[in-house]
Amino acid sequence: MKECKIGVYICNCGSNIARVIDCEAVREFVSHLPQVTIARTYRYMCSNPGQEMIAQDIKENGLDRVVVAACSPRMHERTFRNAIQTAGLNPYMLEMANIREQCSWVHKDAAAATEKAKALARAAVLRVVNHEALERMSVDMCPQTLIIGGGMAGMTAALELADANQRVYLVEKKALLGGNLGRVDLTAPYLDSARDLITERITRVRNNPNITVMLDAQVKELKGYVGNFTAAIQQNGGQQKEAVEVKIGNVVVCTGYQEFDANRITHYGYGKLPNVITSFEFELMLRAGRIQTKEGKIPQYVAIVHCVGSRSQEFHGYCSRVCCMTALKYVHEIKSAIPKCYVSDLYIDMHAFGKGHEDFYRHTLDVKTMFLMYGKNEHPVVRRADPGDDCEMFIEVDEKLSGEVIEIPADLVILMVGMETRPDSVDVARLVNISQDKEGWFIESHPKLDPVATTTDGIYIAGTCAAPKDIPDTVAQARAASARILARVARGKIDVDAVFAEIDENYCSGCRMCNELCPYSAIEFDEKKKRSHVISALCKACGACVSSCPSGAIKGRHFTDRQIYSQIEGVLL
Amino acid sequence: MSFEPKIVGFLCNWCSYTGADLAGTSRIQYMPNIRIIRVMCSARIDPTFVMKALVDGADGVLICGCHPGDCHYSEGNYKAMRRYPLLKKLLADFGIEDERVRLEWVSASEGQRFADLVNDMTERIRALGPSRIRGTLQIDKNER
Repeated sequence: MKECKIGVYICNCGSNIARVIDCEAVREFVSHLPQVTIARTYRYMCSNPGQEMIAQDIKENGLDRVVVAACSPRMHERTFRNAIQTAGLNPYMLEMANIREQCSWVHKDAAAATEKAKALARAAVLRVVNHEALERMSVDMCPQTLIIGGGMAGMTAALELADANQRVYLVEKKALLGGNLGRVDLTAPYLDSARDLITERITRVRNNPNITVMLDAQVKELKGYVGNFTAAIQQNGGQQKEAVEVKIGNVVVCTGYQEFDANRITHYGYGKLPNVITSFEFELMLRAGRIQTKEGKIPQYVAIVHCVGSRSQEFHGYCSRVCCMTALKYVHEIKSAIPKCYVSDLYIDMHAFGKGHEDFYRHTLDVKTMFLMYGKNEHPVVRRADPGDDCEMFIEVDEKLSGEVIEIPADLVILMVGMETRPDSVDVARLVNISQDKEGWFIESHPKLDPVATTTDGIYIAGTCAAPKDIPDTVAQARAASARILARVARGKIDVDAVFAEIDENYCSGCRMCNELCPYSAIEFDEKKKRSHVISALCKACGACVSSCPSGAIKGRHFTDRQIYSQIEGVLL
Repeated sequence: MSFEPKIVGFLCNWCSYTGADLAGTSRIQYMPNIRIIRVMCSARIDPTFVMKALVDGADGVLICGCHPGDCHYSEGNYKAMRRYPLLKKLLADFGIEDERVRLEWVSASEGQRFADLVNDMTERIRALGPSRIRGTLQIDKNER
């Protein structure tokens, strides 16, 4: 057996782990495992003192391998790899045991969870014995960036990069820039013009020589890896039929949202009652400068219904974040256009979380608005008024604050339709190889610490394609994504993972089975030697070839048979 | 004491392991019988991994990958899917009950599905009783 000096570090994660798992018992258990030199518990292993403790132990005790039993490796593997590297160890001499997401957070039985944590820690110890030092490859970072989507997020990200003198390809599916914001009149809470915001962006994007705008275009294929992608972009219409190929280092996905289809809800009468309209239809009216019914009359009563498609069991469970303030904006716009109009606002909860939003809400109370609260998963019902009534429709609502069922008149009903993912977001996710959550929003690398990166290196997300958000948040994300890219471009080189497959030519029989299996065509056959070999820069380490080689000639670095075997032995405590 | 089965889970990094992590962040509770081993792709799961787990004392093995069409490596899960019937045939020849080894798809957003799967599999294997294959075979270690 290999002689190793292993340090095992068991994190309490405050009480996240220690509440369920007896960390001291795990420590005691692993400290008796062969080759374990030192075993410690600590409150927060990922904190600076935690990392320094590991680094110090490496130096003082000559540790050559480290196991951290803590959260998911998806969370902090990089953190601890860097920590052991600062102490002079190869970053791949680390193994993590996931005792939080896959143990303390999912089990209540303390004894069983502690036994499981011991097994997972033991597996990590046995595995790390078989770890090998791996050297990362350094490759050039192509400074050009591809941005998918020409709305607020896409244009802002493009300008940020272009202003730093970097080349940008901005691909928009539609024939014009501006996205959904291009359909909006004024913005909340300061009632400034959305058109001014968007026109400024469009003009600057159009005039910037560093930005190539491709309208009516779609990205058909994305190949390669961070720093070295090739994108095939197909422009529809015109003479050009061939897809254009561009070299890029990074991608920002800014594909936005679509509005909820109000036809899916029947009790508001949308599609049947002509004066029940969606918020986007009302924006059109506002932009045209005249608020009126379908019959061309000035409405005496306007009702605004919140959470149409949002915060409901039946449709979308999430809050769409912008509709509450947009509804209040409508109150102001209606009141200033038709001062005598009675405006009622039917809401579930008023979400006024942003800067200036509470003040805006308060001002809306000053302009005499009737606020009516309805219950979550209940809904007001709209019906046509009878001839002789002085209004077009009535809305019946079970009002929560008064506890009474109230009927209110309306000539125009505005449905605050929520945000949802575009139906083709699944194609985008596959194109750039990122994941979607249960609602279809793109998943970020870390919801708090890394909100614009994704689990695929070199692919960033910004704006409403990641989740509903307002303009300031969208702009902040777009600029954050650009800043991340600029930081990498400034370095010029990028370290790519040292985890890839390699073929031992002494064992390769030249059967070429792996050549066909590789999804990236990363395995070449040398006709002279009659042996296959892996082009490591193209390999993405899936391991499909490793497990299918009949000669056992392929080694999946950092996921070798021996490492996984030892892990199997370890978990079967 | 009632029989507590040991289940080894081989989960792909991108969908299923992430889905299992999501069960954690969502605090979805499930039975503690499963021990998860992360691989990059379900296509990496060598049939010998499953055999070794059974021989070393696992009462069940759960293999999870991305849903068909959603593989991070575009088609690795199809490779796992094609390999699986062959493995099942082999297991049957060794007299290992069909229910002990299972291939399922779990996406990154299916924390609840993962928890349900673990509970279901744990119950079934508990009913089935301990595996008799433990220690009966020798798995030849590949030295690479």
